[in-house]
Amino acid sequence: MDVFLQVVVNGLLLGGLFAITSVGLTLIFGIVKVVNFAHGEFLMIGMYATFLITTRLGMHPYAAVAAVVPLLFVLGMMTQKFLIEPLMSARNHDIQIFATVGLSTALINLALLLFGADIATTPAYGLRTAVEVGPVRMLVGQIVMFGVAAALVIGLHLFLQRTQAGRGIRAVAQNRAAAQLMGINVSRVYMITFGLGAACVGLAATLVAPLYPTSPGIGTYFVLTAFVVVVLGGLGSIGGAFLGAMIIGLIDSLAGFYIGSDMREVAVFGVFLLILILRPQGLFGGRQTLSHVS
Amino acid sequence: MTDQTVNPAPEPSPEPAAKPAKRTTAAIALAALLAAIFITPVVVDDQFVYHIFITICIFAGLSTAWNIVGGFAGQLSLGHAIFYGIGAYAGIMLTNMGISPWIGMFAGAGVAAVVAVIISYPCFRLHGPFFALSTIALLEVFRVLALHFRDFTGGATGMMIPLNIGWEWMVFRERLPALIIAFGMMCFILAVAWWIRSHRLGFQLVATRERESAARAAGVGTVKVRLIAVAISAALTAMMGTFHGMYLTFIEPESAFSLAFSIQIAMFALIGGLGSVFGPLLGAVFLVPITEFARGALGAEAIGLHGFVYGAVLVMVVIFIPNGLMGLIGRIFVPRGTGTKQADEVAAPEVARTFTPPEPGEEIVRVKNLNKHFGGLHVTNDVSFTLREGEILGLIGPNGAGKTTLFNMISGFLDADSGTVEIKGPDGKWNSPTNPADFARLGVGRTFQIVQPFAAMTVEENIMVGAFHRYPSVDDARAAARRTAEKMGLAPFLNAEASSLTIGGLKRLEVARVMAMEPRVLLLDEVMAGINQSDVRRAIDLMLSIRDEGVSIIAIEHVMQAVMSLSDHVIVLSSGEVIAEGKPKAVVEDPQVIEAYLGKEFTHA
Amino acid sequence: MKLTHLLKTTVAAGALLGAQAAYADVTFGALYPFSGQLALLGEESARGLELAVDEINAAGGVQGEQVVLERGDAVDNNQAIGEARRLISREGVKAIFGTYSSSRSIAASQVAELSGIPYFELGAVADEVTGRGLKYLFRVNPTAEDMAATIIDMIVDKVGPMNDKAPEDLKIGIIYEDSSYGTSVSGHEQAMAKEAGLNVVTSQAYPASTVDLSSVVLDLKQRGVDVVLQTSYQNDSVLFLQQAHEAGFQPLAIIGGGGGYSTQPTADAVGHDIIDGVLDTDFTQYIVNKDFTPGIDDFLAAYDAKYGGEPRSGHSLTNYVGAMAILTALNEADGFEPDTIIETVSAIDIPEGTTAAGYGVKFGENNQNERARMMGLQWQDGKLVTVYPDDAAAAEMRIKN
Repeated sequence: MDVFLQVVVNGLLLGGLFAITSVGLTLIFGIVKVVNFAHGEFLMIGMYATFLITTRLGMHPYAAVAAVVPLLFVLGMMTQKFLIEPLMSARNHDIQIFATVGLSTALINLALLLFGADIATTPAYGLRTAVEVGPVRMLVGQIVMFGVAAALVIGLHLFLQRTQAGRGIRAVAQNRAAAQLMGINVSRVYMITFGLGAACVGLAATLVAPLYPTSPGIGTYFVLTAFVVVVLGGLGSIGGAFLGAMIIGLIDSLAGFYIGSDMREVAVFGVFLLILILRPQGLFGGRQTLSHVS
Repeated sequence: MTDQTVNPAPEPSPEPAAKPAKRTTAAIALAALLAAIFITPVVVDDQFVYHIFITICIFAGLSTAWNIVGGFAGQLSLGHAIFYGIGAYAGIMLTNMGISPWIGMFAGAGVAAVVAVIISYPCFRLHGPFFALSTIALLEVFRVLALHFRDFTGGATGMMIPLNIGWEWMVFRERLPALIIAFGMMCFILAVAWWIRSHRLGFQLVATRERESAARAAGVGTVKVRLIAVAISAALTAMMGTFHGMYLTFIEPESAFSLAFSIQIAMFALIGGLGSVFGPLLGAVFLVPITEFARGALGAEAIGLHGFVYGAVLVMVVIFIPNGLMGLIGRIFVPRGTGTKQADEVAAPEVARTFTPPEPGEEIVRVKNLNKHFGGLHVTNDVSFTLREGEILGLIGPNGAGKTTLFNMISGFLDADSGTVEIKGPDGKWNSPTNPADFARLGVGRTFQIVQPFAAMTVEENIMVGAFHRYPSVDDARAAARRTAEKMGLAPFLNAEASSLTIGGLKRLEVARVMAMEPRVLLLDEVMAGINQSDVRRAIDLMLSIRDEGVSIIAIEHVMQAVMSLSDHVIVLSSGEVIAEGKPKAVVEDPQVIEAYLGKEFTHA
Repeated sequence: MKLTHLLKTTVAAGALLGAQAAYADVTFGALYPFSGQLALLGEESARGLELAVDEINAAGGVQGEQVVLERGDAVDNNQAIGEARRLISREGVKAIFGTYSSSRSIAASQVAELSGIPYFELGAVADEVTGRGLKYLFRVNPTAEDMAATIIDMIVDKVGPMNDKAPEDLKIGIIYEDSSYGTSVSGHEQAMAKEAGLNVVTSQAYPASTVDLSSVVLDLKQRGVDVVLQTSYQNDSVLFLQQAHEAGFQPLAIIGGGGGYSTQPTADAVGHDIIDGVLDTDFTQYIVNKDFTPGIDDFLAAYDAKYGGEPRSGHSLTNYVGAMAILTALNEADGFEPDTIIETVSAIDIPEGTTAAGYGVKFGENNQNERARMMGLQWQDGKLVTVYPDDAAAAEMRIKN
């Protein structure tokens, strides 16, 4: 029973990791409707930035938030402005995917150029200390990550529901043309949303960096899972992404322990495919009009 | 742009004289390119150059095969390596069992086609990025399964073939035989892609890609054609995979079921020009040597430099030339259609349609007690009516009355909650169709309120999509389309891009596409909306002439002039209910109708 | 294309011979992944070859001719084939040295075999490389099988006795990343453990791109595993060692199969105190009993002089030793015809303890060097130290804390 509890707790903490790294994507995918394959690379950049700040300036990784979050925000805005916006009027929407794939390749190789292929380790500053709660062990850093993920989800939800800016974002997500007619500057909303999504990833990076080794390819380990989480939760639903992350974390942990580690990916992707086929709008997504009849 | 009135005497559409010349230039350029691909390495006779050109052929073949799904059908598949891997493993496994890879190639193709249909069928409902994500997930699953079942696939360390030399085993000492096979396969794949694009399947795929609902309304089985495309594409990809596996003499899950490889294949097609037949070939011809050169120049300088430049260039290409190299070159080199028959005269109608003068009284459409709820809203409330053969039935009512919803239910696009819709077939039997294909088969055609042209095609091609419903052969369909265009007054615009027409032209195109299906019942959704007075007059004449050919019509209209002049019978819908019906004059003076449209104050105006 | 590079590899001592020297050159191919994923260690491996060539050339070359290396970039399997072809037909190399990556090696050597050109593998470890019965392929370095052999020997000879346990009483847990590297080493570990009568309680693969190994750790802990054998790259080595420590999982021994376990960044990431006592098996590394590996100091000096600093891994040394063995032997041959080369190389007989890597060279079945072996290593005070076999050990094996 103790073991089962530990497996479950591991799954939830893993869910926290997935949640914090995926929330930004649900904003970008759900609202700007862009499949950002470079999402993992945003995380990688944030992690390297955290690494540099902590090792060169001797700061605590959490303090690096002050620099990393704005950095990623700007990066997100620029990506939207210079990469995505020119493509929005293209006849074929799918080429956005290729653009982000190109961006991903360029960023991975840039990191390889600058930092080399070896792993880079951010000092842990005590975040790797284990905490025992009954029969279960957790790391301080993991608990914080879970807590911040939950807080971020709540905060974003309130932002989207209660503030003017948030309403503007939701309006654009639901009907771009109408929002434009209401005087909303759609281009600016997209930029801010993309920036916000990237900033969330930046926040995630500062929390993840002390717990995981950084390498140029680290982003690729997270990106597919992030998409699974976002689709499972429902596009644009922040709460859905959190719940989806928990579910995937639990599946990963339980499948890994009870079935076998090599089939973990099959379990996660199997769930992904089932959702796509049976309920593509995810758990909390809005009703998708799958075929247009005017 | 002048409108042409309906004119029984056909005028030959003025074909630009440059067209035949353009097509021959295109054909010559293509032949020259293909010849160059084959002859250059033979002449240079250098092992490395041979290798480069064999690689070009392989990638050109794979990208062209991918393009059948990704370009023609518009389904962005990022998991095509699944089929490549199946082909490669099939070839190598069978070789190890003593069976020639030539047979293995077809075995692999067969398996790949079956797998493709099974995995695509549920995923086709997904749009755009969702479909792409599902293909990625499937690819990962295949890769992990290939790793897991190591007794079958050799697991992570992969499988090799014994080095038996000879054509039977596709292993050679010299490079020329390998080039011959690669080149031959590439040409075969190009031929298949070209054939698809210039015949019915291609038209239907593009139509499905552009506007799925309009395609369905034109009688295209949108799921069926995409499954056919996926099966063909998978089979071709697998065949090339078999060859490449034999060329490498070694295969492993990592490189066979590789996401990066899938993306690369799609990338070549994108850069060459998605949706064009020869774009992927161009993409491969340009990119393979350039990548080689770049790697040679940059690769060893610093780790990551080559990859960084590659990624940056990719981004640039996507932003600045999103229509690819083919788009850059323009329509100069795009061979459309057969290229051989340039019939200026319109062929005589194949079958003269016998027309029975309208016998009002013969019912052809029966709608009984239709009901529909959207959530708590009762949008269609116990609606019943009939349409008689040769009749023009006007369907009017204020906005929000539920007219289009009703149309959707009587054309198969929406299911009613209760009630029946019956159509009398040409054989006199009553049918209850349920989806657009069934309705189309019974001869029911409809237009859409917001016009839906297939933007990537010309006016002629648009109409041909409808014509294919009756005439499977390309030439017959083209002739039928031309005839219809004549009648609709679109003859001067046959070769124009559909998206370049004015709203009036688009409306007529919408009708033309449906008319090319030679329907028995025509559902028109506000065709008069947004066109000027004189055009309304002409449109009325057009509709009458359509009716005179034996087509029964239900028309949703707001333009009262049209309603009055056209309709034999009028039904008024308000808030989902039929509030009045009868002769036009009577209905218009009905106080309930006036109240519904204008409000109570006007009933005594 | 690589003019500056060619100049670097031909030694200045022979330059005064001028034009005549150019005619008296013999060209060999150097086929490694110089770009892409594997570039770091591909380049490192090639350095060993280059240092060997420098040394040979300084001593007069091979059969009086200066050795010229022509680089080929084996960035992927398709490219490996193309480059092999280019080296053979365009550059006219007499033999190809390579390749670090097993799949590149397999692909490229098939080409060499078809063309009848000798192929000398200096660093790839998968069995399949020499398991195909190719006539022209020779491998000098130790293989995955050798790695497993050393690991099992360490368990039986050292780990068991040092912990006062009979080897058969130890519970062995094998975990590995799911690519060719992890799969081949772990496969041998399992087979040999069984032969030695050891008790393997579990053998699990996990995806190389994993971000979490806690379920694996939990499973091993639950089963009460005493000795963990992991084959992994940097990322997963770090993950496992950290997560094991944090979960309070304290096996008697953890033995890595090279890869991430041999690199300094891994030790730095995990923490020197946590990784202390962790065992490893790999190519000969640099803290070793120098009496057993004569020439290793000269190698290190030459490496520093040419590239600045220390070698980044043991790959350069292993490639150097292999190349030296081959080239020295070729010096006694008469001409560079493929069959002459094969005959000469097959007769090589270098005893153990006389090369810079410690092991000897004699080619046996399938042209694999029978005397090649991996070393047993241990992280002590933040450094990777050779502890097994005893004659190569630079320090005593310690019990893991």
